[in-house]
Amino acid sequence: MRAARRLGGFRFWSIVPFLAVTLIFGVYPFLRVIQMAFGSVNLRGGGMTFEFRGLQNFERAFSDELFRHSVVISFVFVVASTVLSVVFGTALAILTDRATKLQNLARNVLVWPAIIAPVVVSVLWVLILNPQIGVLNTILEAMGAPEQGWLGDGVGAMAAIIAVDVWHWTPLVYLLVYSALKSIDSEVLEASSVDGANRSQTTWHIVIPMLRPALIAATALRVVMGVKVFDEMYLLTRGGPGDSTTIISLLIRGIVFDSVDLGYGSAVSLVTIALVVILALLIVGARALLKRRTS
Amino acid sequence: MKRSTWGSEATLAISMVIIVVPIVWLVVTAFNSPRKIISRSFEFSMSNFARLFEPGSVVGAQILNSVVIAVAATVVTMVVAALAGYSLSSLGWSKLVTGILLGLSALIQLIPPMTLVPGLYVVLQQLGMLNSLGGLIILNVLFNLPFATLMLKVYFDALPPAIRESGLVDGASEARIFWSLILPLVKPGLAAVGIYVLIMAWNEFLFGLTMTSGGARAPITVGIAALVQPQEITYGPMAAVGALTVVPIIILAIVANRQIVAGLTGGAVKG
Repeated sequence: MRAARRLGGFRFWSIVPFLAVTLIFGVYPFLRVIQMAFGSVNLRGGGMTFEFRGLQNFERAFSDELFRHSVVISFVFVVASTVLSVVFGTALAILTDRATKLQNLARNVLVWPAIIAPVVVSVLWVLILNPQIGVLNTILEAMGAPEQGWLGDGVGAMAAIIAVDVWHWTPLVYLLVYSALKSIDSEVLEASSVDGANRSQTTWHIVIPMLRPALIAATALRVVMGVKVFDEMYLLTRGGPGDSTTIISLLIRGIVFDSVDLGYGSAVSLVTIALVVILALLIVGARALLKRRTS
Repeated sequence: MKRSTWGSEATLAISMVIIVVPIVWLVVTAFNSPRKIISRSFEFSMSNFARLFEPGSVVGAQILNSVVIAVAATVVTMVVAALAGYSLSSLGWSKLVTGILLGLSALIQLIPPMTLVPGLYVVLQQLGMLNSLGGLIILNVLFNLPFATLMLKVYFDALPPAIRESGLVDGASEARIFWSLILPLVKPGLAAVGIYVLIMAWNEFLFGLTMTSGGARAPITVGIAALVQPQEITYGPMAAVGALTVVPIIILAIVANRQIVAGLTGGAVKG
């Protein structure tokens, strides 16, 4: 009774719910993924049977053309959408900081896409990209350009999902960079203008280097988000046409729910997790290197 | 320092147009009559909304599901995260314990949720939580908990330890100190993180899609997805339900802009 009152009780109970949720619904399912990856799983009549098959699923994963293809597709998607959203977001943040009349309005409006559900973002762009009713083709027509099928051809579909993702998430980069920009000491900027630097010189040589931590954070965040992406592709292209936009999450969904092959789906998941962890370690390593160079 | 800013203003104006036009287009399409949508002209009509709520439609049930999931997941996440964040911040856990728990959290945040779906599916099935609101609530809690805990831990870290000590001197229990002294001091943090979790849970789609069989058991995001059909032309209802979900969230953004900004940015900068 006394011990519980001193610290033990609350100290213990305050961490238990966190542990319970994370262990039961995070760690345990992860262990199940590992188990299932080494066999074949049969889900019938509400029950589950498991048959050990050794490394068979992994051998299949490493020789699977489609898996390799979707890793490449995901990589292209992540790089393109990250670079574009970081560049646009940073540019918009710097422009907002310079603007006088539109500053307040921009700060509010430019954030909107980041809070809209990915599903609704998809709907919004289906309405715009659709060849029959889409407003984009109406505009192209008015300018005398030929109509496009957009989601109908491989390259167009890839470009479209990248564009949609950039539209959706540039605002997040914008927010991060803009709040970092606001915390830069204005005396630094004044000193630079007193020294005779013009505005673009100040931006390139003073502001951008000072924004580096925010830019690295934004890039890392966008890479992680890009790897996790699913909703928009599922709704806009379902991975098609063909397999041209089959990013990894779509591939796994297909294996698990269309082919109902949980064993192979788990193996692909595990290889994906391994790739993500390696990628994360590379990012952390690069960050540490940069830090050492600057300090 | 007075310089001409028309270039910046013009670029910002164009960017805002690019942001706003798709949203306005969605709302306009929602109020257009189905025939006119196809022929790319406009005629005001409420029929798209009427079709959403006609008898036998599950949209109403799905919106209700989403409300229940989002509110419950937010409340549970905030309670669990506040307790854990405070515990890790102030109750003297060793570096090892804190490190393991935060590392675990970071890993959950890092990996694509889809990679855990095979395991989650089997576990929910075992627990009888497939196709249930409870299952979706707990999955939303799981994937928002790491971020919320990390964020709240940062807020708790910023409080001076003297507050807790003065409570102890006055003879208050740890639970009492947490509830009456500490929590009121981090209200802004709770609001920011809470709004962020609410938006994330309201927008969630992946688990709704994979852990339910759709229909009246699914959240509204899955309902919207069901309207995006390549074969059947359902642009009108699709736009209507899109407009129904997008307008409240934008109003929330205008009202709670500050908290949303703090919620969206805080974790990324700290992490």
